[in-house]
Amino acid sequence: MKFRALMVDAGPMREFANIVTIISKLSKECILRVAADTLYFIVSDDNSGPAPPVLWCEIPQAMFFSEYQMVGLDDEHKDIYLGLSSGNLSRSLVTLKTAKSLKMKLTKKQCPCLTLEIEMPSSTSQQTRNVTHDIPVIVIPRKMWSEFHEPNTPDPDISIELPALKQLRTTIDRMRTMASEVIIWASAAGRLTLQIKTDMAKVSTRFKELRVEAFEGPIDHSDSETESQANEDMSRICYCRVDAKKLSMFLSADQVTHNRTLCSIVHKKLVILCLHTEENVRLQCFISGIVY
Amino acid sequence: MKCHIPGANVKVLGRTAHALARFGDELYLESLPDCILLRTLNAAESAYAMVKFNKNFFTYFNYNYYSTEDNEGLKCKISMKSALNIFKSPAHMDKQVENLEIKLDAESCKLIFQLKCRHGIVKTHFVSILDCKAMQAVYTKDSVPNRITSPQRILSEALGNFQSSDDQVTLEVSSQSLIMRNYVDTNVDLTKIIRTQISLKPSEFDGYAIEAETTITFTLKEFRALLAFAEALNLPLQLHFETTGRPVVFIVHNGSTFEAHFVLATSKCDSASQATSTQHTNVERSKRKDSNSTLGSAKKKPHLEVDISKCLDEDSHLFNFIDIPEEVMLNKTSTNGNIENKSKSSGKTEEPMDCDNIPASPAAKNMIKSVFKRCFESTFDPRNLHGAILAENSDSE
Amino acid sequence: MNWSKMDDVNSQYYFTASMDSGKTLCSLLKAIQFQETAVFCALPEGLKLTVEEGKCVQASAYVPSDNFTEYHVRDDVDVMFKISIAVLSECLNIFGSGEESSLKMYYRSEGSPLLLVLQPQSVNNVMTDCEISTQNADSVLELRDEDSAEVAKLVLKAPAFLGLLADLERSCDVIELHLSPEHPNVSIVTYGMQDRSCIDVPKSSDMVQSFTCENPVTLKYQLPHIRLIMKALAISSKVVLRCSSNGLLLLQLKLEKEDQRQMFSEFYIVPLLDD
Repeated sequence: MKFRALMVDAGPMREFANIVTIISKLSKECILRVAADTLYFIVSDDNSGPAPPVLWCEIPQAMFFSEYQMVGLDDEHKDIYLGLSSGNLSRSLVTLKTAKSLKMKLTKKQCPCLTLEIEMPSSTSQQTRNVTHDIPVIVIPRKMWSEFHEPNTPDPDISIELPALKQLRTTIDRMRTMASEVIIWASAAGRLTLQIKTDMAKVSTRFKELRVEAFEGPIDHSDSETESQANEDMSRICYCRVDAKKLSMFLSADQVTHNRTLCSIVHKKLVILCLHTEENVRLQCFISGIVY
Repeated sequence: MKCHIPGANVKVLGRTAHALARFGDELYLESLPDCILLRTLNAAESAYAMVKFNKNFFTYFNYNYYSTEDNEGLKCKISMKSALNIFKSPAHMDKQVENLEIKLDAESCKLIFQLKCRHGIVKTHFVSILDCKAMQAVYTKDSVPNRITSPQRILSEALGNFQSSDDQVTLEVSSQSLIMRNYVDTNVDLTKIIRTQISLKPSEFDGYAIEAETTITFTLKEFRALLAFAEALNLPLQLHFETTGRPVVFIVHNGSTFEAHFVLATSKCDSASQATSTQHTNVERSKRKDSNSTLGSAKKKPHLEVDISKCLDEDSHLFNFIDIPEEVMLNKTSTNGNIENKSKSSGKTEEPMDCDNIPASPAAKNMIKSVFKRCFESTFDPRNLHGAILAENSDSE
Repeated sequence: MNWSKMDDVNSQYYFTASMDSGKTLCSLLKAIQFQETAVFCALPEGLKLTVEEGKCVQASAYVPSDNFTEYHVRDDVDVMFKISIAVLSECLNIFGSGEESSLKMYYRSEGSPLLLVLQPQSVNNVMTDCEISTQNADSVLELRDEDSAEVAKLVLKAPAFLGLLADLERSCDVIELHLSPEHPNVSIVTYGMQDRSCIDVPKSSDMVQSFTCENPVTLKYQLPHIRLIMKALAISSKVVLRCSSNGLLLLQLKLEKEDQRQMFSEFYIVPLLDD
């Protein structure tokens, strides 16, 4: 197995550092899957069996790296799967924003490592400083690879484009101080509502005029205790109750410059947030619905 | 003792208190005819700081004001907490404080700090004197083979690449480069720790003279504190050091009014275990395992060795307490001699310069007063020793 | 809720009010938020929220009605209820402190929740509505003693006073206030583990706007109680300290907005009495 890649452009380096930071907020550990065309970051829930991973991120290597070489295990197993601490990686990349270049390679020190070699400009002279980080990794055995495939999720009932993530995050963070769960409502009419309900308060933040990418309705509410929203056609509305903290962590992805973020909901069951960047990075976060 | 410090210098004193507070819990103050010394030692006795303020740092300076004996200055110890309370936010003091007066109130055994601030406000702190001790460390500053002068930004920028959880750093110094690495204790699970290394070129530094290539390892806690001190005062940092195991001296001064020495003990680490990232192999790993077991529990942490006699044989510890020739001791037994004991003889670290030969007893108020008073009597002055190992007396220029 | 029927709403509802921006109100509420619940009173003159800590400290935020673009209280009812001040200030801040949001408040009748509607000024496709539950309020403790005369009054610039308080050793329990017509007029003393610290503020200092004191007086308070005023001091321009003969300390703080309107906060602190 071999892996060696070089990044020299400032934009991709900054984006890469931001992406890794978000991942480190969502989970302490992650899987790095190195394939010929793409780098994947995968985060799984600990309890996951057949459930989808919490995070699935695809980074097309051609947009980021000026050099990229990898050699997998053998012809049938072409990729490399590595387990590592996302916090370690994220902290090592903190200086990437002002770096001149980043070289990543798989090495063997006292244990298998992902070695980062960062060239930093000096603040006082024309010289550069070379920084090396050896991050211990675990090579994931082949028999476990099936746990890390692209998630197979049911078709969502609605896909709606989200308003500015920063705005959402501010509001969710205020809501988190009052409740631990938030209900996301989305309607085919382009409305999205974030709502919390406790003994002390019911707070609803309502967005309108959002772009609906797809709607596979009508939604069946006959089984539930949904309160009907005044003047609204309930068959065109779906919702899902999720953990507010997980939602907030994904929303810190506002640091990554992106074109758009899509929110897809499988009524009551799943929320999928998908962020697309200019460099064709796709960052998907899966939050299971809480059902009582 | 009585002295006045103008507003502009109060900030320096504040920064000093904050830096020293990150070293030790007790602050030793000594006033001499031409300067005032502030010193502290950390609990592990692996780090020592001494800041000297020359006469010209003050607008008024009387080193033995209130003393009963003419030539005796003040020697005392106060709690570091007290010092921090006086200099709460050094950054603001610049604009707030016009003048600071420090004087001794012999009657109440207190050191009085009075700050005259803007808006006509006066803040007075009556600080209890814990004891009348003084202390001194012995270390080599001038005749060292290796000296580096660095604008402090470089070192703190380099440190920015390390994890905040790292607690020791290794400098591998040669005439071609300075490599900074996080030191990893061999007891730690290596599969969990990031190894970081940064390599700096000599041209980055203002001065770089290496006559003896070496590798030194010391703790980051105090290193960060002294870097913050240099940064706050915008002054360069000098490193004076010899070889593995010998203390490294960091010097920060402004060339005129004050000079700070920060001395960190370095550990005699097994350098094979900390080789550069490119060198590791499994063979070396098993070699290290063996060497570990022979040394037993001898930790590689920098320390003035208290129980490992092996280390006492070498001249590597931080505090060579001064040997008192027999005849001098006889002369001075009648007074409250500042008796220094070489740590070797007792096998345990002695309190430096204990000015009391009364056995330790709970400090009652009148006890402190009498002890204190006796400190003003002719006390043992280490400078009177001849032939002692005073490699560098910190109060001579 | 049909927003177009505002006039009907105003006459039937116990209390309604609107503001262009709830930001200052939110800061003021945070300044007295050292307990979970507050008593909310909509008086004809303005809005008053009161928070109590034991029987030792009572803090109030007072917002005169001219701070509102609309302010209606039914004159045949007493609008007074208990509400979570923490939830109220989070709701007022729902769009973040970087955003100015317009605010509307509604209280239908006794036992109703307090209804808030907020809209950010910079974006027009979002709004938040909040229903905050309310409970019956017991009356607010009256700490003032009509029979106690005022023995000293000190008016200070708030930022400078904040600086002094911030400098006090946090670990101290007790703060002594010495006031006297003789120099140095005002002395603030704290005792640490082994040390004593004293701050002298003469009346000639430019942080003192006025000082009245006929006879020397020494009062002691718990330092943590005095420190409760610091958040309010940080947003205020002026503070008036009034000492009563029974030792009760009243601190009145004034906050001035850009539009020249004022809001106030008030703290009553009970002294530590020597046995």
